[in-house]
Amino acid sequence: MSNECCKTEESAECGKNEPANECCKDGAAEGCCKTPCCVANLGYVYGVMLLRLWLGVRAVQTGIEKYAGIKGVDQRIIIDGKPSTYGLTKLDLEKVYDLKQYHGIPASMLEPFTKEPLMPGFMLPMYDKVLGPALLVLGLVILLGIAPRTSLFLLGLLYISLTWGLILLGQDNGIAWLGTHMIMIVMALALAKHNRLCVLKKW
Amino acid sequence: METIQSNIPRRDFLQRTAAGVGAGLVLGAPGILRAAQGDRGGRINVALLGHGKQGQVLFESMKNIPGLNFQAVCDIWKYNRGAAVGHVYALQKQRPNAYEDVEEMLATEKGLDAVVIATPDFWHSPHTVKCLEAGLNVYCEKMMANTIDGARAMVHAAEKSGKLCQIGHQRRSNPRYRFTLEQLINGNKICGQIVNVNGQWNRSLSGSQDIAVNPKIAMQADILNKYGFKDMHQFMNWRFYRDLSGGAISDLGAHQIDIFNWFLGAVPTSVFATGGNSYFKEREHFDNVMALFDYDTPQGQVRAFYQVLTTTSAGGGYYESFMGTQGTIDISEIPTSSNIFRETGDQVPSWNYLLERGLLKPKPAAPKPKTAGVIDSRASPPPEGFMLPGEMNKPAHQPHLENFFAAVRGEAKLNCDARHAFLSEAPIYYVNPSALSKQPIVFTPEQLSV
Repeated sequence: MSNECCKTEESAECGKNEPANECCKDGAAEGCCKTPCCVANLGYVYGVMLLRLWLGVRAVQTGIEKYAGIKGVDQRIIIDGKPSTYGLTKLDLEKVYDLKQYHGIPASMLEPFTKEPLMPGFMLPMYDKVLGPALLVLGLVILLGIAPRTSLFLLGLLYISLTWGLILLGQDNGIAWLGTHMIMIVMALALAKHNRLCVLKKW
Repeated sequence: METIQSNIPRRDFLQRTAAGVGAGLVLGAPGILRAAQGDRGGRINVALLGHGKQGQVLFESMKNIPGLNFQAVCDIWKYNRGAAVGHVYALQKQRPNAYEDVEEMLATEKGLDAVVIATPDFWHSPHTVKCLEAGLNVYCEKMMANTIDGARAMVHAAEKSGKLCQIGHQRRSNPRYRFTLEQLINGNKICGQIVNVNGQWNRSLSGSQDIAVNPKIAMQADILNKYGFKDMHQFMNWRFYRDLSGGAISDLGAHQIDIFNWFLGAVPTSVFATGGNSYFKEREHFDNVMALFDYDTPQGQVRAFYQVLTTTSAGGGYYESFMGTQGTIDISEIPTSSNIFRETGDQVPSWNYLLERGLLKPKPAAPKPKTAGVIDSRASPPPEGFMLPGEMNKPAHQPHLENFFAAVRGEAKLNCDARHAFLSEAPIYYVNPSALSKQPIVFTPEQLSV
């Protein structure tokens, strides 16, 4: 994926803003060589940035949602435009975020998992505790660009673990959905050399 | 079939009954007594008398009511007494004084304002009378007593003492019931003329079994005998014995027949009942009872049917249904068993204005059956369904207890004082006699009066 205008891959890195003639020493076409290398690679840079943003936001918000729950708030009913004095109420449901609401594995999946012979019993509570924080941490690390290759790889492993669970439960739609995540992670890894705005670009 | 009838002229009887009813049931002003409370910053010192299953249900509701100090507990069974002490300590971090005998408690405790009685039915009257005479305000579980004379004694004691006596017909304080009566039946008359009332409490076999107890924690025979029980089985299952309770019709039916009377603003003129031991053949009381009541109400005659089954829970559980020419209200302490139906036809006015005012909610339409076609040309189209606009967000007994303690503070009138509870309960005492004799009973004023 190297820029044909450029002599070496390193010279394609944006930010150096090399003059066109500097990267055309190998006799590439004149028209091509008039385009700065960093501009020629801008598509890849934007591409990997968008992938990192998508995957990071997806992971962070999914992690946050693990702390979300529904809270019922009783409201007095309105009769003739005024709150009723009878003490009759209606339940208004509100979404709330709270550490007490934490649920790593959705409640609807926990019981089916306990009945799966291939699912080690000791793993469920452990996985349940780790899943939310892991998504939050990996998402943030990817967004900040801390060891982007390794963090993307770890996120991929996490999605594989989720995929395995869904295979056990026979949830094909979810598996396909996670498959698209895996494709995006692989794309982000392939474009990793174009990463910009990273706290720690290494690894 | 012979009819047990009084020699009082019917017209006089109805007038006298109506006068009694008018004192409270019709006017809806059941509480006339108030009690002033000492200056303790609104704190009410409470004694718990009886801490079995029902006593614990009441305590769970009272936990939510601010300003109560549970000063003493009393139960003849050490096991219940210990539980009561534990429950109170867990709530207020202070041990209440515990007693086996109510007289000892009344003689020892100073500064009590109120007592909540949840003892077996045959103890209600003696306990209530004692506590009233000791100057306490009393909340006593229904049924008032196992005999009508016991219930009368409670009314007399309450009125003589000037203290409050609330009977535990908790539906009378339930906002859903109060709203239904005041806004829908009386206020907007959505039922039109009520011509029929149905009620039932169908309880499953599993919910009707004898209650067993671990012999290791059983009471000693001398204590049981001292308090009127021949053995531990009778103590745990007093509802099955004729000398100790009125059986299922008073245990379960009393709540709902009270609603018949309260909503109709009348007491029945007669009862005809049948019952039997269809399954629990060894029990003294019938395991199922069916009763027909006739009413003469200001809007016309009403026939009411009530059944209590302890052998099956199918058929809708428990509810009361008020069926009128324009609409029907099924109401229950269970919100899902409550339904409101508008009759179809041009002669029934639209209820859109009730929806606009917020007095009703439309009920989601049920899916139409796949097979169309008229089975019978005389069949009526299904009525339109509605729901109450809101629910109660408290335990079932809490509003009634709140009303009692507010009355103790002088801030409210009782929703079900002893006299009005008696007027409503009195006909129930004649259901078992009617079923046993297989005779209808036409009530005399003496039978239903205090």
